[in-house]
Amino acid sequence: MSWEFFLVTLITIGVAFGGLMGTIAYLILVERRLAAFIQDRYGPNRVGWAGLLQPIADGAKFLLKEDVIPGYVNKTLYILGPSIAVFTAMAGFAIIPFGPVDQAPSWMRFVIAPDVNIGMIYIFCVGSLGVYGVILGGWASNNKYSSLGSMRASAQVVSYEIPLGMSIIGVVLMTSSLSLNDILMHQANQGVLGWNVWTQPLALLIFFVSALAETNRLPFDLSECEQELVGGFHTEYSSMKFALYFLGEYAHIITVCFLTAILFFGGWQFPLIAEADSAYLGATLVKVVVLLTKVLMIILLIMFIRWTIPRFRFDQLMNLAWLGLIPMAAMNILVVMTAKQFDWPIWTLPLGSLAIFVAAGLIGTSGKFIVSDQTVDFSESPEGYVHVHS
Amino acid sequence: MNWVSENIALIGTLVLLGANILLLFPSTGRKSGIPGFLLLPVTLAALGWVFLQPTGDLVRDILFYMAAGTAVLGGLLMTTQRNPVYAALWFAVATLGVCGLFVINSAPFLAAVTIIVYAGAIVVTFVFVIMLAQQEQGSGYDRIPQQPFLATVLGCLLVGTMLLGIEKTFGPDSSRLSVDRTALHVSSLSVENDLGSPGGVGRSLFTDYLFAVELAGTVLLVATIGAIAIAPRRPQGSL
Repeated sequence: MSWEFFLVTLITIGVAFGGLMGTIAYLILVERRLAAFIQDRYGPNRVGWAGLLQPIADGAKFLLKEDVIPGYVNKTLYILGPSIAVFTAMAGFAIIPFGPVDQAPSWMRFVIAPDVNIGMIYIFCVGSLGVYGVILGGWASNNKYSSLGSMRASAQVVSYEIPLGMSIIGVVLMTSSLSLNDILMHQANQGVLGWNVWTQPLALLIFFVSALAETNRLPFDLSECEQELVGGFHTEYSSMKFALYFLGEYAHIITVCFLTAILFFGGWQFPLIAEADSAYLGATLVKVVVLLTKVLMIILLIMFIRWTIPRFRFDQLMNLAWLGLIPMAAMNILVVMTAKQFDWPIWTLPLGSLAIFVAAGLIGTSGKFIVSDQTVDFSESPEGYVHVHS
Repeated sequence: MNWVSENIALIGTLVLLGANILLLFPSTGRKSGIPGFLLLPVTLAALGWVFLQPTGDLVRDILFYMAAGTAVLGGLLMTTQRNPVYAALWFAVATLGVCGLFVINSAPFLAAVTIIVYAGAIVVTFVFVIMLAQQEQGSGYDRIPQQPFLATVLGCLLVGTMLLGIEKTFGPDSSRLSVDRTALHVSSLSVENDLGSPGGVGRSLFTDYLFAVELAGTVLLVATIGAIAIAPRRPQGSL
């Protein structure tokens, strides 16, 4: 514990925090421009060149607006809500490696808290605390619409945590480690064909869908429904506290995109450009750039999804989680465990994923699902209801 | 009595703790909880003075005091809160403090899982139920304890017995009943390496405790099937 260690940690935290904040501000601009592009209109393009100063204007507006605290709210919890949302999102970022940790020079570290051997569990543990921000915000507002919004949000978050956790068990079994850096190195050492996206495609799908729901992004942003329903858990929030909720949400999205890139797309590894043993001048920085590019691609994909797929209704969402994702994730774990136990060749894993996916699709579309003496019919449900005939 | 004079520190601390809890309890006559909150630091300091000794590692000590203090404070305030929502939240805080203790004693896996299960799932369910069931903070008789004195005395007796038991089992001289401060210092207990890591936990579960794990798994499976069997089937509709 020398003072240099302390200083490096402090600088790492500062760089990560500042970078995260700046990225969030500009991601909102990117999202608005992208939305405008998809809807065939101009986005914000007046402040600065091509609207590049818009985030700063937004920030100034958030700071200068009057901070209203309604008289009927529970003041303590009302203020605690957004703080918890931001705190948990930031704490989750602590163990994300944003570069090649092993090759980092001593004066520069690519992760705030290195050598955490329970990395994935830590992220889920911090994420599960994030529910408090939503629940407390909705309840403390002392408003039926906010309470209903927080109920929707927390029911959704709680139900999507299960498939989210189950989907990565396959990846963890392949690597025999919960540490993000170990998972990344395992893929990097095997080259591009060792990426988990090839061996665990179903796990990627489940992870990504659950992550969208967990971060309250469309098509699962029932808790907010900014345009259609009456707000959500943050109906009563204004100015900076409202901004804090969205800061937390965007930080969560960035964390999830980092996780997707690291768990399934090989992290900083890319064929010919950034291999595990590449040692040319500036290779470390190239690896950082590769990882950040992958993350940016995933963020853009999430933004495209937002303006492409309509919102799920509450019961459709629950059906998807409990009847679709959880059984599929459980089957996937079973396949990976069997393959690991009997040393099956690696190509059986994608085959198994495909088989589970096709089977789930057949059950879902052919539609008769017999539970004891009753038939649950999925096919007669244009609105997404499940009809049960006895 | 010889026994009392030997354990005067422990008994005094427990009496102080009980008095503090009594002062913090909401009651009909007294509105303010300020005396209780004023006494709180004294109680915490007394607890620390009796049971804790610095080990020499400054950072570790500070972390230990923070985590332990959070746990004790969270527990105290959870018991004495008038509003059930606050009580549930203080329960979460106490859980976080205990998880801090786990981390200090090199059991990060246990800490993370405890947070997920208790703070992330169970307390959230509590908060849900309280928020749904609670109409205008409940009635007056629900908001004050019925037997505060008896509850405090019995609780403190229980804590004292447990502490004495721990001291008797783990202390250096098991025949002596007086509180040896170094023996009761939690972070001075030696912890086996690797026991708290995911690999260590898995190894221990699937070798030493295999039968218990299988039994618990079977019970959980039976409970799940039972829940599905009991759950009412709706003729129409989805939720």
